[in-house]
Amino acid sequence: MSLLAQIVNGIALGAGYALLAVGWSVLLGSARLVNFAHGQLYMLGAFITWWGTSALGLPYFVAIPLAVAGAAILGMMMQLLMTRLTLRQDLVSLMLVTLAFGYIFTGGASLIFGGDPQQIPSPGMEHRFIVFGAHLAYQDLVIIFCALGLYAATWWVLTKTNMGRIVRGVAEDPKLAQLYGISPAKVYIGVFVFAAASAALAGALIAPRSPILTSIGFEEVIITFLVVVIGGIGNILGGLIAGFGLGIFTALFGAYVSPAYSMAAAFAVLLVFLIVRPQGLKTS
Amino acid sequence: MTNVTRTRYGRVLVWIISIVVGFFFPQILGGTEVIYTTAALVAIFAIMSYGNDLILSDLGEVSLGQTVFWAAGAYTTALLVIKSDWAPFMSLAAALVVSTLIALALGLATIRTRDFIFSLVTYAAAIIASAIVTNTAYFGGSDGLVGMPLLSIPVVGGQYEASSNEALWPIAYVSLVLVIAFVARFRRSSLGITSLMTHMNSDLAETMGVDVRRTRILVFTLSAPVSALAGWLYAYQRSYVSPDLLSQFFLLLMLTAVILPGKRILLGPLFGTAVLVFQQQHASFGGDIDRLVLGGVLALVLLTSSDGLAGWWRAITKRRRTKSVTAFNSKDSNGTVAASLPTIKE
Repeated sequence: MSLLAQIVNGIALGAGYALLAVGWSVLLGSARLVNFAHGQLYMLGAFITWWGTSALGLPYFVAIPLAVAGAAILGMMMQLLMTRLTLRQDLVSLMLVTLAFGYIFTGGASLIFGGDPQQIPSPGMEHRFIVFGAHLAYQDLVIIFCALGLYAATWWVLTKTNMGRIVRGVAEDPKLAQLYGISPAKVYIGVFVFAAASAALAGALIAPRSPILTSIGFEEVIITFLVVVIGGIGNILGGLIAGFGLGIFTALFGAYVSPAYSMAAAFAVLLVFLIVRPQGLKTS
Repeated sequence: MTNVTRTRYGRVLVWIISIVVGFFFPQILGGTEVIYTTAALVAIFAIMSYGNDLILSDLGEVSLGQTVFWAAGAYTTALLVIKSDWAPFMSLAAALVVSTLIALALGLATIRTRDFIFSLVTYAAAIIASAIVTNTAYFGGSDGLVGMPLLSIPVVGGQYEASSNEALWPIAYVSLVLVIAFVARFRRSSLGITSLMTHMNSDLAETMGVDVRRTRILVFTLSAPVSALAGWLYAYQRSYVSPDLLSQFFLLLMLTAVILPGKRILLGPLFGTAVLVFQQQHASFGGDIDRLVLGGVLALVLLTSSDGLAGWWRAITKRRRTKSVTAFNSKDSNGTVAASLPTIKE
C-alpha cells in the first residue's frame, strides 16, 4: 500500500482519535477535571449500541442516541457523587474515584453483557470505497464528519455563546464566578455529561470497526490522553490536529515498522513532547 | 534509666512481641495450607502496596504505573531464573536494579509534570508495558513465562526450599517486616521529611531550600525496588509470570490497600491488603462481582472520607465528643449535672 494510502488510513483513524478526545479536552481545559473512566464510557457506548441493535432490534443509527443518553446519565450520576471532591478541587481523590468507577463499569458490563466478543452491525461497514489506494468504509466517512462537526460545535459553543463564557469563567476562577451568580457545581455536571456522552458517541461510531469486549477501554484512555496533551490542554483546535496527527503516525508506524508497537511508539512521542514542549501545540 | 529510654525500650519490646505473634498468626488461625496461602499473598501484596504508599502518602502524587515496577521485578526474576538459571538472590538483586533503572528513567521523563499529568504518564507507562510484554516473544507473549523452580535459598547447614506456601511464609514474612522497617526509617529520614514538605506545600519547601524535583525523583525511584521485591516473591509463589501483573486488578489493589485504612499509617497497607485478600480468597463472589467490590470499596472510601477508615473514625469520635459537650452544656444550664461534678479539693 502506498504512502498516500497510509496517510488516508491515518486520517480515518485519527478522526476517531479526535472524536474520542473531544470530551476530555473540554473536561480538562474548562473544568480542570480528569476522568479515568473515559475508556469504560467508550466501552459502554459501544455495548449499549450493540444491545440496542441485538436485544431491542433497533436500527444502528437509532441505537446510538440510546447509548449517548445512557452514558450521559452515568456521567451525571458520577459527577453528582463527586460534587464535594470537585468543588474542593481534590484532584488526587477525583482521579482515584474515576479509576474506581471505570473498574466498576468493567465488572458491571461483564455481568450484564457477558464476556464474549460482540460485533456491532453497522450499515456503514457493509460498503467500501477506495481513496488513493486506501480501502475505506462509509463508517469512516461518518466518523470523519462527526468528528469535524463535533469539534466545530464545541469550539463555537465555548467561544461564541454565553454558555461557553460561563464554562470558561468557571474554569478561570470558580469562586469568583460564583460571585456572579454562576453555580460551578452545575457547570461541572454539564461538562462531565458532555464528556461522558461524547465518549459513548465515539464508542458507538468507532467500535463497529472491530469486535468489542467489555475489557476494552484502557488503550482508549491513553489515546485520549495523548491527543489532549499533545494538542495542548484546553486547546480544541490543537486536539483535532493532534488526533489526526496521531492517526497518521499510528498508521505509518503500523505499516512500516510494527502495528503491535505503534501505541508504544506514540507514547515515546508523548514523552518527548513532555520534555521538550510540555504545553503541547498550544502557543502560550 | 530515664523515662525516655524506658519508653523507647518499651516500644521496641512491643514491636518484637508483635513481630513474633505476627509470624505465628497463620498457625494461630489453624495453620492450614489455605491459611498459609492467604498469609503469603497478604505479605506479598502488602509489600507491593508499600511501594505505592511511599508515593501516595509521602509524596502526595498518584503513580498509576507502580504495577510496572512490580511486574519488572517478577519478569526480571522469571527471565533470569528460567532462561539463565540464576540463583534466587542474584535474580532479586537484578530485579531491584532493573526496577530502579526503569523508575529513574520514568521519573526523569516526568520531571516537569505534576498532578494528573504525572498520573496519566505513569498510567500510560503501565498500559504500554502491558502491550509490550504481551506482543514480545522474549517475554512469553500473552502466555507469559512458565516453569519457575521452587525458591531455594542457602541457610546454615544446607538449602531452604519453599516447597509450599507454608514454607514460603517465613521468607515472605521476613521481607514484609524488613519493608515496614524500611518505610518507618524512611519517614524519619531527612528525605522522608522533605518528601512530606513537598507534599504539604511544595512552594514553601522550595523557599526552605528543598530541591522539590530531586526529592520527587528520589522517592519515586526508591518506591520501585520495594514493589519489585514483591514481584520477585510473587514469581516464585505463583511459579509463572504473565501480562496480568500489569492489570488494573493489581493497581486497584495497591491503591485501595493504602487508601482504605487511611494514608501514612505505618501498618495501614498491611491492614488494607489483609482485608482485600481475605475477601478475594475466602468471600469471593466471582471475578466480575469482585471487581464491583474492589472498585466499590475504593470509590466509597474516597467519596465519604478524605482519609479512609481513619477519617471515618475521627469523624465518629468528633461527633461523639460534640454530642457529649452539647449534652453537658444543656444539662449544665438546668443545673442537674453541675451538682454531680467532682469538687476540687484545695
